[in-house]
Amino acid sequence: MTSHGLGEFEQMVLLAIAHLKHDAYGTPIVDEIERRTGRSVARAAVYVTLRRLEDKGLISSWMGEATPERGGKARRYVKLAPLGVTALREARHAAERMWQGLDPASLRAR
Amino acid sequence: MTRRTPPRIARGLLRRVVHDDSREMIDGDLHELYVHRLDAYGALRANAWYWLETLSFLMRFTLDRIARFFRGFSGDHAPSVLDLKLGARMLAKSPGLAFVGGLGIAVAVALGAGAYAVINSYFYPDIPLHEGDRVIAIGKFDPRRRYEEEHILHDFVTWRRELRSIVDVGAFRTIRRNIVADAGAPEPITIAEMTASGFRVAKIPPLMGRTLIDADELPGAPPVLVIGFDVWQSRFNGDRSIIGRQLRIGTTLHTIVGVMPERFGFPVNHQYWTPLHIDPAVAVAPGGGPGVDVFGRLAPGATKETAQAELATITRRLSAEAPQPLANMESRIVPYSDIFVHAEAEGETSAYAILRFLIAIFLVIVAMNVAVLVYARTVTRTGEIAVRTALGATRSRIVMQLFAEAFVLSGVAALAGLAVVAVGLRMFDAALAGLFEGRPPFWMHSGLSAGTVLYTVGLAVLAALIIGVFPAMRATGARLRAAMGSIGSGAKARLGATWTLLIVVQVAISVAILPLALLKVVEMTQLAMRPAGFAPGEYLSTKFLVERDGTPIGNPTDAVIDSTRRVVNALLAQVAAEPGVAGATITISSPWNGGGNAVVETDLPNAEATTTSVQNVDTNFIHLFDVRMLAGRPFDAGDAALRLRDRPVIVNRSFVDKMLGAGDPLGRRIRYRAYGDDVQPWMRIVGVIDDFPKAVRTPGGQVTRGAAMYHLAVPGDIYDGLLTIRLRGRTPEDFTPTLRRIAMSVDPTLQLSDTRSLDSMYREDTRAAKQLAAVVILVTLSVVLLSAAGIHAMMSFAVNQRRREIGIRSALGAPARLLLTSVLARASRQLTLGVAMGLAAALAADTMSGGMLLSGTRLLLVPATAVFMLMVGIFAAAGPARRGLRVQPTEALQAD
Repeated sequence: MTSHGLGEFEQMVLLAIAHLKHDAYGTPIVDEIERRTGRSVARAAVYVTLRRLEDKGLISSWMGEATPERGGKARRYVKLAPLGVTALREARHAAERMWQGLDPASLRAR
Repeated sequence: MTRRTPPRIARGLLRRVVHDDSREMIDGDLHELYVHRLDAYGALRANAWYWLETLSFLMRFTLDRIARFFRGFSGDHAPSVLDLKLGARMLAKSPGLAFVGGLGIAVAVALGAGAYAVINSYFYPDIPLHEGDRVIAIGKFDPRRRYEEEHILHDFVTWRRELRSIVDVGAFRTIRRNIVADAGAPEPITIAEMTASGFRVAKIPPLMGRTLIDADELPGAPPVLVIGFDVWQSRFNGDRSIIGRQLRIGTTLHTIVGVMPERFGFPVNHQYWTPLHIDPAVAVAPGGGPGVDVFGRLAPGATKETAQAELATITRRLSAEAPQPLANMESRIVPYSDIFVHAEAEGETSAYAILRFLIAIFLVIVAMNVAVLVYARTVTRTGEIAVRTALGATRSRIVMQLFAEAFVLSGVAALAGLAVVAVGLRMFDAALAGLFEGRPPFWMHSGLSAGTVLYTVGLAVLAALIIGVFPAMRATGARLRAAMGSIGSGAKARLGATWTLLIVVQVAISVAILPLALLKVVEMTQLAMRPAGFAPGEYLSTKFLVERDGTPIGNPTDAVIDSTRRVVNALLAQVAAEPGVAGATITISSPWNGGGNAVVETDLPNAEATTTSVQNVDTNFIHLFDVRMLAGRPFDAGDAALRLRDRPVIVNRSFVDKMLGAGDPLGRRIRYRAYGDDVQPWMRIVGVIDDFPKAVRTPGGQVTRGAAMYHLAVPGDIYDGLLTIRLRGRTPEDFTPTLRRIAMSVDPTLQLSDTRSLDSMYREDTRAAKQLAAVVILVTLSVVLLSAAGIHAMMSFAVNQRRREIGIRSALGAPARLLLTSVLARASRQLTLGVAMGLAAALAADTMSGGMLLSGTRLLLVPATAVFMLMVGIFAAAGPARRGLRVQPTEALQAD
């Protein structure tokens, strides 16, 4: 966890949002994580996390258009908030500092 | 054409479980994915997928809600001192709500915490010994008769020899003996006759000298005595050379061999210990020997279950050898405290567990009621909450604040409830101490325990959650967003269907329960206040005990019985010969409480067996208390000679009413109910007396005094009982020294104790009834008050909601009566519905009980209660309705 209290899954969701730029909402975020990590993720976990990230001020959201194939419900898009960008950078730096002096290829279990 | 919408139930479920602010987004996203799957894979797979997703959301969001709730108690969401202050201020602003809600919670908390404290200290106490939870008792029970067999010496000898999973199996019985000091009058003391293993089970070393040892139990061993710290201090002034001194108990000199430390009271509350002599050479028959209690300690590595299994194996063998009815009995390992409370035989532990559960439910119902009141107030604050939300307060922050407000109310009420419990426990302890000569069992702690306080805090938090959080969650939910959209234009909050239903149900419960509660109140008050039917002030009573030394184990010999009879007869004769004495009688316990209850049947065809109280009385009893003979004759000397052949009994009026009906009761035969082959002999009714003490007739004509049956006791039968003397022209206090002198002259070892006016004994016995009546009255009052307050809150709310409309209609000239009717209409509909449901429930309950609950004129109480509740409702609604009529049109419009 970083000083912003970012968990691993929260980082993934934030990074997925960053990749998707202006087209980030629930379904593409799930797809993006699955595509990039090769792991299947629980859709509900992504929505719970989105809510938590918004509560923490790391992302912000706005309502999009309502379409018939959505049963008349609007999409809710999300984007990184400045605090979210800072949190991601901090997480990255922390990880880099931890990797310093280590060669991923030469890691062995003892 | 296939429907292109997700499964309805799953979607409904999904919408309920997800958070309000995520609902639209999730619903839309899943709908979109569902349609894609429908096109690609068909309805079956799409529906299955949707259901799986719904269940996943259900789990994740529920967990998230729980996590959020607990996070609410920490960090910046935690209730602050300011929240609590604000809560106190809000309470001060609504004194009516604070009083009614507080009273309801205080009563419920007092009941809950009081029951918890008493039940725990009584039924589930911690035994304050080393590994006290491994100290157990063994009992022998007849499950069909709900009866515990005391005469288990035969079993005890086998258990002690054979049980491996229980070590130091021991037994004791409590006896009373006279102790005779160097010079002076004999004084009765209570002694534990106990096997030496008792001290090994307790694992507490003596302060001085030694404890009892196995060799002390053997026949011919010199008589020894171990004393407790308190008597060492009080009787022997803490004499350090006490060991080796001799003390006469009854007629036998005992050597004091040890002093136990302070607060040691094992096995119950004892201060004197002598060995329980069991001669290994003399076989005790099953069911023979004196009544004893058996205890032991679980062996290392053994559990109650393994010990019970081993015990069951031994019991099966013992049962095969035992005669009826012993063969049907089962042996059980029970909590150690059962040697004192004997709850296991009656199935009382489970009954009290149910009672505790019911009391907890009562608290939840009361808290729900208060929640209605609080919610009605909270919704009027929707505007304020909306403004705070707009200014950045999170939902959990607002919920926390409302929780803090509720906690102030429930906390103050719980404190008041706890204070009541503290006083109640003190009274309970005093009553217990009174029962045990100032020395309750060693594991019973007086006063509030940490457990009780913690339990109360738990109750207060539970109440605050129901009162504060439920209404807060609803008030800050979807409704809040609507309110935010209309800040400044008059938020239209509504009392939802749930709350309306609660009020209806509450009125219904009141109407259904109040008649019975009222009857109980009247009955208990009458019982508590009833005249004795005799003048207790004229009587002096004393407990007495005739020494029966020489037969510590086994049934008394004829010689012992004869000598006992001589002592008691001489006592009675000398007392009766004193001037100013009208007569004397001997009973086992108090003259009005009987010796116990038993189930009896009559010789009438198809008669049902009924429980009746059984009392053993001598030939003087009826005359001495001026009990009216209604038929037949009292016991006479002839009965005494033939009582074992003819078995004459006298019954009371309630017995005849209940069991014999209209026919002539004299000569009818009755007997104790048979269990299996254990058929009891018939007894013959020779007389009928009026109820004693006088029966209380409740409003419906029900007699509260139960059926009673009297056996003839010959003075020699009762060697440990109560002597009651009726005085003429002398007060009980005057006569006491005379009585002591007579007792000394009859037999120096005759023990008299608890000598006092019968009046004080009678008052003590009715005190419990008075206290119970007070509790029932308080609970009934709080239920009525809560119902009234609920209706009042609902009406106030309805009127506030319609202020604008009322103002405009009033300005347009609508007559006041029409407005009032319209305002009252909703409340009246709910009241009427509640009353109708309550009436139906009361009548249904009465029908199911075969008319037992509300027979005769008591049935009138139901419509009377219905009318009362309607009046309470209208009265509660009148204030808000009047306020509504006073609304000025300009005021109403400005308010918006």
